[in-house]
Amino acid sequence: MTNERRIGRVAAHGVMITLSVLAIFPVYWMIQSSFRAENEIFSGGLFPSAPTFQNYLHVLSAMPILRILGNTVVMAGATTLAQVATGVLAAWALVRWRFPGGALARSLIALSWLVPFQVVMIPNYVLAARLGLLDSVAGLVIPNAAAAFAVLVLYNAMRGFPREVVEAARMDGAGSLRILLEVVLPNLRAPLASVSILCFISAWNEYFWPLLLIRRMENSVVQIGLQFFMTQEGNDWGPLMAAATLASLPILALYLVLQRQVVDSFMKSGIR
Amino acid sequence: MASIDITNVHKVYGRTPAVRGLDLSVEDGSFLVILGPSGCGKSTLLRMIAGLEDITAGEIAIDGRVVNDIEPGRRGCAMVFQNYALYPHMTVAENVGYALKVAGIRQPERARRVARVAETLGLGDLLERKPAQLSGGQRQRVAMGRAMVREPGIFLFDEPLSNLDAKLRIQMRLEIKRLHRELKTTSVFVTHDQVEAMTLADRLVVMNQGLIEQVGPPAEVFRHPVSRFVANFLGSPPMNFLPTAIDRRGRAVVEGGHVPWPELCFDLPSGAAIEIGLRPGDLSLVAQAGADDVLPFDPEILEDLGNELHLHGSIGEISFAVALPAATLVPAGRLGLRAAPGAVHAFRREDGRRVEPRARSNPPAHESGEAAWRSLSLSFT
Repeated sequence: MTNERRIGRVAAHGVMITLSVLAIFPVYWMIQSSFRAENEIFSGGLFPSAPTFQNYLHVLSAMPILRILGNTVVMAGATTLAQVATGVLAAWALVRWRFPGGALARSLIALSWLVPFQVVMIPNYVLAARLGLLDSVAGLVIPNAAAAFAVLVLYNAMRGFPREVVEAARMDGAGSLRILLEVVLPNLRAPLASVSILCFISAWNEYFWPLLLIRRMENSVVQIGLQFFMTQEGNDWGPLMAAATLASLPILALYLVLQRQVVDSFMKSGIR
Repeated sequence: MASIDITNVHKVYGRTPAVRGLDLSVEDGSFLVILGPSGCGKSTLLRMIAGLEDITAGEIAIDGRVVNDIEPGRRGCAMVFQNYALYPHMTVAENVGYALKVAGIRQPERARRVARVAETLGLGDLLERKPAQLSGGQRQRVAMGRAMVREPGIFLFDEPLSNLDAKLRIQMRLEIKRLHRELKTTSVFVTHDQVEAMTLADRLVVMNQGLIEQVGPPAEVFRHPVSRFVANFLGSPPMNFLPTAIDRRGRAVVEGGHVPWPELCFDLPSGAAIEIGLRPGDLSLVAQAGADDVLPFDPEILEDLGNELHLHGSIGEISFAVALPAATLVPAGRLGLRAAPGAVHAFRREDGRRVEPRARSNPPAHESGEAAWRSLSLSFT
């Protein structure tokens, strides 16, 4: 290896390491702060001098955090399932058949992605109120059961699926639903995994809609729960960081499980 | 086993016609090959038989039953695709057995039938592999097995050998031929490869621009092409074409006033333009001589194919190729070419249709056609 190339590689790695540290540091700060005692919370230093679980115990006693985490898992899981299911069916319909208005439907779906939440917030709220969905997990899931993002990502993935394979299945006598379930989907694991994880994260991080809809702490989701520690008298940093750490654990776990598929999928979409 | 009847079928994509009114029937048990350049509508026709393309107008009937509105899976056809189109996530056994699974046949029966097909095709050891772990030839075999397992009435082949290397292609060609002899299943095979077409076909269809140019046994299509297009498309190196004009006496006069085949007489008006087609293999080399039946030939490039020689050159402005036995010694300089009258094909200049000469009972003595050539103000550029 020549010197020039070596310098180039060192420089590239330097940049990547710096960016990684920048990305990871806030997470690290959150975790280490959650183990600090109250009097130490504003002091510098990279490690807590006397690590303590005090903040976690406080969080557990101050609010039904496990219940709230459970609610969030149910909400985010159901939202993800619904978005992937509707996305798969819609994308298949758009890819498989040419029908009058098909292109228009696709454009409208793409456009709906651009409509800000604030525009549909009030009609959604009125609808949820009339349907008796206020203060319920179902009320959080149903308005988000279909997402343009999922439809469009899966549409692209399916369009890239070889047409001849679908035709071979038609020659073999399989109907459209059967082709979707037995031939197409088993080959789309990577895009399905990445869509699922992104839908899950976005549902998990949902803040505004639950804030509007949820009244009682025991029906709440974790992003609302965090707010509990931010008061007019000042923020309760220790418990806040402990709750935030607890809130990020499920996402981390999911990511670890699906990491390979997600990275695969992003790499492929980058190459195309 | 089944027959196919195609009646006045059209296919239009948007405004572009792909198939423009086509009639064809395929007899039960026969092997039909559709040959043509890319874009001639041959694949579209096959896909319409399969049911993968809608039929714009006309009718396709299988065993007398019109299938225009019948789903592909219910037409009794199986198809082998150019890119194999195997299911990537299934093993070979699952790929082959998928049609049976869809048809609701139980696992033990399915396994038995898959095993039988696998044995015929020599796939026995590969049944648990995924398509990605197979070579091109093995994938092709699996694709064939998938078509065979249902015991369909009709096999449809869409250029199935074009992704294989030359050696494997010959091997698979023979395999297909052997399978057809054993199974006697009606087959329609689309290709742009004339060797495949000639060797596999019971009947050969040559298509051009959405229409059938000629249908017949391959030998007849080769020896008796009905149009310049067919003549040009079949044969390698392709047929040579020599512009000629008809003189008063119906003889074909080449540039310079020669009348190489005085015994051939065309029932065409004087001055009519025709092209004389000569296959490279029907030409023989003679030392340059002034004889009237010898065409002056300037050789340029000699290709030694091992089993024969191809000599490329020109007659006047027109490029010509000659196929010669391997042992031929080719002298340098200008040579002459001669062809027997029986080897002459003739096509009308204006529409490329074949014209048949009538043999003269008593050929007249050689007589120069120079005067006739001069009097015809024709240009053959």
